[in-house]
Amino acid sequence: MKKYQLNNKQLPSFIDHLKKQGTVFAPHKKGDTSYSFEKVENPNSVVLDYNRTLNSVKKYFLPPREHLLSFSKTDNSFRKGSFKNEKKIFLGVHSYDMKAVLKLDYNFSQGNPEENYLQRRKDSSFIGVSFIPDEFHFSQSVGIPLHDTEGFDIYLEQNSDGYTVKIITEKGEKLIDGFDRVSKAKDISSNHVQFQNKLKYNYNRLPEVFEQSWNAAVWEEVSKKCVGCGTCNLVCPTCYCFDVEDNLDLSLQTGTRDRSWDGCMLNGFAAVAGGENFRETLAERQRHRVHRKFKYISDITGEPWCVGCGRCTAYCTAGISIVEIVNQLCDEYEQNYLNRPAVVGLNAERL
Amino acid sequence: MTTEAKIKPKVAFFDFTSCEGCQLNKLNLENDLLDILEHIDIVEFREAMDDKAEEYDIAFIEGSISTPSCVERIHDIRRRSKMLIALGACATQGGINAMKNLHPIEEVRETVYGDDKYLFPTLPAMPISAIVKVDYKIDGCPMSMPEFLKVLKSLLAGQEPIKPDSAVCVECKLKENECVFDKGMVCLGPITRGGCDAICPSFGQFCTGCRGLISNPNKNAMLEILTEHGISLDEAKKRILLFNSYDHSQSLPK
Repeated sequence: MKKYQLNNKQLPSFIDHLKKQGTVFAPHKKGDTSYSFEKVENPNSVVLDYNRTLNSVKKYFLPPREHLLSFSKTDNSFRKGSFKNEKKIFLGVHSYDMKAVLKLDYNFSQGNPEENYLQRRKDSSFIGVSFIPDEFHFSQSVGIPLHDTEGFDIYLEQNSDGYTVKIITEKGEKLIDGFDRVSKAKDISSNHVQFQNKLKYNYNRLPEVFEQSWNAAVWEEVSKKCVGCGTCNLVCPTCYCFDVEDNLDLSLQTGTRDRSWDGCMLNGFAAVAGGENFRETLAERQRHRVHRKFKYISDITGEPWCVGCGRCTAYCTAGISIVEIVNQLCDEYEQNYLNRPAVVGLNAERL
Repeated sequence: MTTEAKIKPKVAFFDFTSCEGCQLNKLNLENDLLDILEHIDIVEFREAMDDKAEEYDIAFIEGSISTPSCVERIHDIRRRSKMLIALGACATQGGINAMKNLHPIEEVRETVYGDDKYLFPTLPAMPISAIVKVDYKIDGCPMSMPEFLKVLKSLLAGQEPIKPDSAVCVECKLKENECVFDKGMVCLGPITRGGCDAICPSFGQFCTGCRGLISNPNKNAMLEILTEHGISLDEAKKRILLFNSYDHSQSLPK
């Protein structure tokens, strides 16, 4: 693997170098204390040292709102939109968000491939950046090491002078080609960073816990605090549910079929014609949400569908923590199904 | 499209106890107004014209019911309307007018009218649906113009309008707004019915709950969220009751 040193001062010119090759998206400051991925206009406004963005890069492949097609009632016709074939470079992606994109790739290419997602996903390059885990990140507990480079073309690991640039793929090699202001990688040892937030069990022990989780007490308990606002669904980088609605123009003859993000915590989500709602209570909805992250898809793929970004917890105004929910499930499992207490956190520590 | 032969639905606007802002902003639909008039005949609209009509296909009602004469008038309008739609918070849920219901009615009457109170009979403020059948509600203070257009288009196309029943938070997340709580404010967005495209949080303001609450609001949890974020329980309840006194004053914890 080729390695270079990129000092902080050289970062803006590196971003300019990338901009010559495609549209660059990177984290920017948003509001008082938040960050969001935006198209880079000015390299100096890019922030690579951030905790998490409000939405993940998912929004570029599955936009929060999109027109699926436009239709005309006059001649009973419809027309799908076309996609701009532009080269997209995502700079400053954290390892858990990269993993989330790979998971969405799986979701949208299985069964009926989802054309809009896959079209938008084309021509994307990813440049990862390391991060310092805060009190909400727990990606290591779900099998994503801090410096996991899967999916990245280039990975930037922060060091005292700037970044160690690791070239992961041939595509990454091409991205940096012609940029001569990097120097030979210094042998700077990176800090050993610890995750503060952890699941009690290593992820590969969670299937046995989730075998017994259906009637757990935690669902009722957590639903007393939950207001069902859906924030946890909407900020999740691996949630992909959507709703589709037809909207007429004022001519009443033409219109658009629109889709927007939906979430299983919301009232209309499991409602069907006739007024039946298959998950009326917030307890049932919380159970469903967490099972979607740790059981239903995981039973098929063998890995958790949660990437440990901490968004659902960091942005929950009621202070509900997915780590606490899963840890309580582990506790209940130990109490009810195991005779002896488990050796706490052994596997998680060793990772 | 030929419109000559088309019989357009007769539409009327009426106001009850309100600021009349919801009807007035219909006149602000400047870009769409001519297109709208392709489809409907406005036959009665006190704020915009003198004409009156006997019957209406769609009657839009603004304001709450708060006097005995309101009750008589709304019965009369309902009798002459095929479809009746409540416009804005006063009409859909009593709105801020219903804060008066939190006090003894005679006390309120005396405070407002003083010695002349016997000339002005009054009732607790009520939404239109407390007196007559309402076919559809367009929430908000003021009501949302895009929602008004959406409902109108649905009705003209013969479809039932879809009533939003998820929280304002959803629209903030779709727009990737920074959470108002993270700006140090408290917000009713988590339990307030969306459909406004989170217009207040999008412009740096917190949600005051003007569109009413979602259909299954967890009010105790909301009160806990508000008090956890630094306001007293009393203040938290007042925030919820600002627009929601009629529906929710009885069900908040004492």
